[in-house]
Amino acid sequence: MNLELNATNLIKRFGARQLFSIDTLNLKEGDSIHLNGDNGVGKTTLMKVLAGLDKPCEGQVSVTPAKRKLWSSNLHPRVIYLHQSPYIFSGTVRENLAYGLKLRGSSRQQTNDAVDKALSWSRLEPLAHQQAYSLSGGEKQRLALARAWVLNPGLLFLDEPTANLDKKSVQNVAELVADLQNCGTAIMVSSHQSNPVTELCKQNMLLTGGQLKKNVVNEALYA
Amino acid sequence: MQDNLFETTALALQLLFSFDPDLWDIIGVSFRVSLTAIAIATLPAALVGFLLAMLDFKGRTAVIAIFNALMAAPTVVVGLTLYLLLSRSGPFGDFHLLFTQPAMVIGQVALAFPLLVCMSHSAFQAIDKRAWETARTLGANCCMAVITIMREARFALLAAVVAAFGRIISEVGCSMMIGGNIMGYTRNIPTAIALETSKGMFAQGIALGLVLLLLALLLNVTLVSVRGKGRLV
Ligand SMILES: Nc1ncnc2c1ncn2[C@@H]1O[C@H](COP(=O)(O)OP(=O)(O)OP(=O)(O)O)[C@@H](O)[C@H]1O
Ligand SMILES: [Mg+2]
Repeated sequence: MNLELNATNLIKRFGARQLFSIDTLNLKEGDSIHLNGDNGVGKTTLMKVLAGLDKPCEGQVSVTPAKRKLWSSNLHPRVIYLHQSPYIFSGTVRENLAYGLKLRGSSRQQTNDAVDKALSWSRLEPLAHQQAYSLSGGEKQRLALARAWVLNPGLLFLDEPTANLDKKSVQNVAELVADLQNCGTAIMVSSHQSNPVTELCKQNMLLTGGQLKKNVVNEALYA
Repeated sequence: MQDNLFETTALALQLLFSFDPDLWDIIGVSFRVSLTAIAIATLPAALVGFLLAMLDFKGRTAVIAIFNALMAAPTVVVGLTLYLLLSRSGPFGDFHLLFTQPAMVIGQVALAFPLLVCMSHSAFQAIDKRAWETARTLGANCCMAVITIMREARFALLAAVVAAFGRIISEVGCSMMIGGNIMGYTRNIPTAIALETSKGMFAQGIALGLVLLLLALLLNVTLVSVRGKGRLV
């Protein structure tokens, strides 16, 4: 039942340039990791590779227990990646929340119930029927979180979830992420600076010079 | 001459609204052929446009350039090529397709396809890569993700279909060469206009021309009105 992700000998190159090379990486339920690193070191790329959205040049990523469906081979339904600035589908807030549920073949009733819960969880109820593109940045970020939350993810990759958000929105996002954590979702948050969301993380990893250093405590960061 | 123009136009309207069977037969051929061609061409062309926008393979730019060039190919040249292929002595002569409606459909598919590919390619290019990734990470398999992207690009795709339909329903060269302008079978609006005019009988030509103009107006008004809802965000 417990979700576990293992990566071995991951190498990613763009042309001749090697972005990173990582021997082993293990993520399991209950983990919460702050992935730190300067701009352009490859945090986004690493998280996309781990989430199955991008292919490593060498090495592999495996998630256990494996899902039953064979065709979407490199993507696990309980592993979800959230973009730094979320992509919102055209349609209403409700329709966005229902997207993944419909794909999983939920009935209309189940979908509606789950969407209602997600709306109240993310406090987006007043906006339920609004066209989602018209939401503010902070609301979009909450919508993206709720869109993942309804799918009960086991492992969530959050790419700089607080970039461009004001203090209050950051606080809102942090509350939602804390709640996800309490539900047992493993999270990995990338950010090049400390913020209320990364402060929720128990572990810290630093991507630098193509290497992943685990459990570094960056004094400057937490000063 | 002025009187004459009014007279012919009046005659044209009379032909249209008295539901002159010959006239409406010609209109029927046009719509049957062009709608079939669009129905056949749209999905495969949109998929090619999608692949060109998504995949990064060697020779991708060459393929795009070729489709762009084909888009501008004169209809008579397409007609001539198909004529050579379909004629008795051509490689597909055994199918006896020359001067039939299926031949016209083939010709119009060939005309619409490059236009649909190019326009859907730019429609998909305008869509963010994040849309694909979001769909995939939320559990869409490739097929469902393609459908999602098509939905995101629907206004631009609709514009492509309208443009392609406008091109094929009004083209005369290809239909004339491989359709043969046979009354009651392969005579469509543009070939009929060309023929009637060459015979000096303008009323039917004007009536058919009006139908085409009306259609163009209708299609574009529809397009603009649905697009109005899909404003820039
Ligand atoms: N498709 C690509 N082709 C070539 N280079 C790429 C590609 N994608 C990313 N890169 C390069 O890889 C490097 C790492 O990019 P990435 O987005 O993973 O960095 P990041 O650590 O997330 O940075 P930031 O903190 O600014 O978000 C960048 O220098 C980028 O130019
Ligand atoms: Mg990044």
